[in-house]
Amino acid sequence: MLERIIKAYNEAVFETDKEAAFEVINEAMAQGLTAEDVVFKVVIPAVEEMMADITRNPDANLAQHFMTAQIAAEVTERMLEKFKHPPEIIGRVVIGTAAGDLHSLGKRIVMGCLKALMVEVVDLGVNVPAEKFVDEAVAHDAQVIAVSAMMVHTATGENGCRKVREILCQRGLEEKIKIVVGGAPYRFDEALYKSVGADGWAADGITASRMIIGLIRVVKDGGGP
Amino acid sequence: MKRRPEASLTLRVRTATEECLLQVVPGTSVRDVLDTTKIRVRAACGGNGSCGACVVTWISGDVNAQTTAEYQRLQPAERAAGARLACQLRLQADSEIRIDDPAPPSAWTSIPANSLSAAPAGRPELQQHIYGLAVDLGTTHIRLSLWDRKQGRRIATRRGPNPQAIFGADILNRLASVIDRPERAEEVAHLARDAILHALRDILMRDVGEVRPMLAEIGEVFIVGNAAMLALLTSQGARELLDPENWAGRVNYQPKDPAAFQSKWLLPHATISLPDPVSGFIGSDLLADLVATRLIEGPPGSLLLDIGTNTEIALWDGTHLHITAVPGGPAFEGSGLRNGMAAEPGAIFRVRPNRDAWSLETIGGSPERGFCGSGLVDAVACLLASGQLKPSGRFASPTGDEGFCFDPGNPRTALHAQDIDTFQRAKAATAAAMAALLRQAGMGWNSVQRLCVCGAFGHTLDIAHAQAIGLLPPLPVEFIELAADASLAGCEMGLLHQDGLATFANMRNHIVAINLSQIWDYDDLYIDHLRLRPIQNQ
Repeated sequence: MLERIIKAYNEAVFETDKEAAFEVINEAMAQGLTAEDVVFKVVIPAVEEMMADITRNPDANLAQHFMTAQIAAEVTERMLEKFKHPPEIIGRVVIGTAAGDLHSLGKRIVMGCLKALMVEVVDLGVNVPAEKFVDEAVAHDAQVIAVSAMMVHTATGENGCRKVREILCQRGLEEKIKIVVGGAPYRFDEALYKSVGADGWAADGITASRMIIGLIRVVKDGGGP
Repeated sequence: MKRRPEASLTLRVRTATEECLLQVVPGTSVRDVLDTTKIRVRAACGGNGSCGACVVTWISGDVNAQTTAEYQRLQPAERAAGARLACQLRLQADSEIRIDDPAPPSAWTSIPANSLSAAPAGRPELQQHIYGLAVDLGTTHIRLSLWDRKQGRRIATRRGPNPQAIFGADILNRLASVIDRPERAEEVAHLARDAILHALRDILMRDVGEVRPMLAEIGEVFIVGNAAMLALLTSQGARELLDPENWAGRVNYQPKDPAAFQSKWLLPHATISLPDPVSGFIGSDLLADLVATRLIEGPPGSLLLDIGTNTEIALWDGTHLHITAVPGGPAFEGSGLRNGMAAEPGAIFRVRPNRDAWSLETIGGSPERGFCGSGLVDAVACLLASGQLKPSGRFASPTGDEGFCFDPGNPRTALHAQDIDTFQRAKAATAAAMAALLRQAGMGWNSVQRLCVCGAFGHTLDIAHAQAIGLLPPLPVEFIELAADASLAGCEMGLLHQDGLATFANMRNHIVAINLSQIWDYDDLYIDHLRLRPIQNQ
């Protein structure tokens, strides 16, 4: 039965058909599958397959990424409400767009995938000041600050990632909190993330979650890269 | 603003280097038709036959008899050899002409007469400086018209590219390019000012016959545009506009030194009228659309969509105008697509299935050079209907590096997977923004009574196709109007009105501006609209 469900779910995700995906999940639950099984045996493998697919074919369609990530996030969210015990969380991330930047979609995709992969996400919204990134990361005991910037001047400017790095440095938090960045400017110049003081970047919202989970583990294992 | 398709004749035009097919509305002079294309005849009068410069050779087809002007301007031997004045020549059936000595190439063409609105009443009380210029300063294109304000007569129009695009095709990049660089800011301002002056001189040389004395007779220049274009034109406010904190607030871009503006434009007597934009992210071009379409005089549930590089949307609910803007449009103007192009000669503007192949119609009947907005909508809708494209945006079978070629012999007719992606994102942004506005006003799609579609699609958008892929809502077709040049029309009404600035300012009293980034689930709405399917009635 599980095999058939996985196949039908993957097909629906491939066709970016949210209604069909939910039909598959509802039917699976009616047949006795638990919410835990849906997430760990159906949704997460599908997200991992999606990441592998993007790595194989980096030019794949952005609209399709958005739609598949949204399906993963919505299904996971619905299932988490039905979990018998709170799920084991891998780690915690605070995420927002850089000061001056209102482009929220990239962030939206990263959040969807992180949630589906059992990472807790605190959404700080758009146009977030650097101080707030750090204050909220400390308050929520987050391992990673994720700064999204879609424009050259918000990606490289003084008030974005650079300032977050400055504050982490001043407060001696650099071992406890890592910074990741994402957005179009970092794709055009793959060394840019380092020069603005980030610890990591990813070319798209979906593979970003893999890199973020790696950094969470680095912090939890006690420090240095 | 409703327009009916008119019966047309076909004119074949040959020059030493090219050949094209033009659709001609009977009664229009050949010169007026050619003026809307890149192949223009020489000209130095308003088309009344007095300069004799627009000589063409008639080759075949039924045309009007030679006029008195032609008897006066052309030698008998020339007339016997088929010479005609293009401004006097009118078709009575499909015809063919040759142009041996066309005008030098220019960035400026006339706007086709059938997309212009009826002239507003004149202002007989004007005693001096009776001429006026209306300018729609777009991010990608500039459209303008010269008027005799006293008589209420449109002398000529021009449309051409905004040369500032070299410093950024979109608004944000263009604004960022001038930050902390006063000399660059001056250069960017100069580019737009200079382009407008060029277009004006082109009109004066070709349609009036004198330049300097006429410049001194221009009494007003009325300019509309988005806030960023107005900021760049007047070299101020770019930094403020890049800061989202200032997007919803009132902004003001009156020229700091109007006298300097007049002297740079060589217009010593022209008042420069710049109606204030609504806010940092909604320009006076949208106000012009609202003035032209009289949206607030219509029923509650009237929507207006101005598709451009920056797409602006307004919804009249009977009491308020809910307004927003979304960066949805560049794809519809051909930007960001491998074979995308503006609506210029050679642009595929219509696609239809034709047995096992496709029939493609291009502007000017020239060989296909790429797709403009309406051709793209057709292409995507046809592929979806035939099952070659799936609602996800994937091709049913991989297309490889060549993409999907509508004409296998011509790579410029290909659409690639990435083009479909760009298109999906543009149409989703547009549809989701309309959905968000409706919800904000407590309305649904079924309460929409009127939808005016202005901007990039021109008059060639296939509404059923736009509905099938979810760009336009599934409304009865008679609710939908194509009003391509509404912002120029509104700008002209501002120019011809005794107190145009006040007309625009009054419109602002009804407005509630909505910043989509402050609607918490706009991203979800956007993603929900990415699939290629009719808009769901939620």
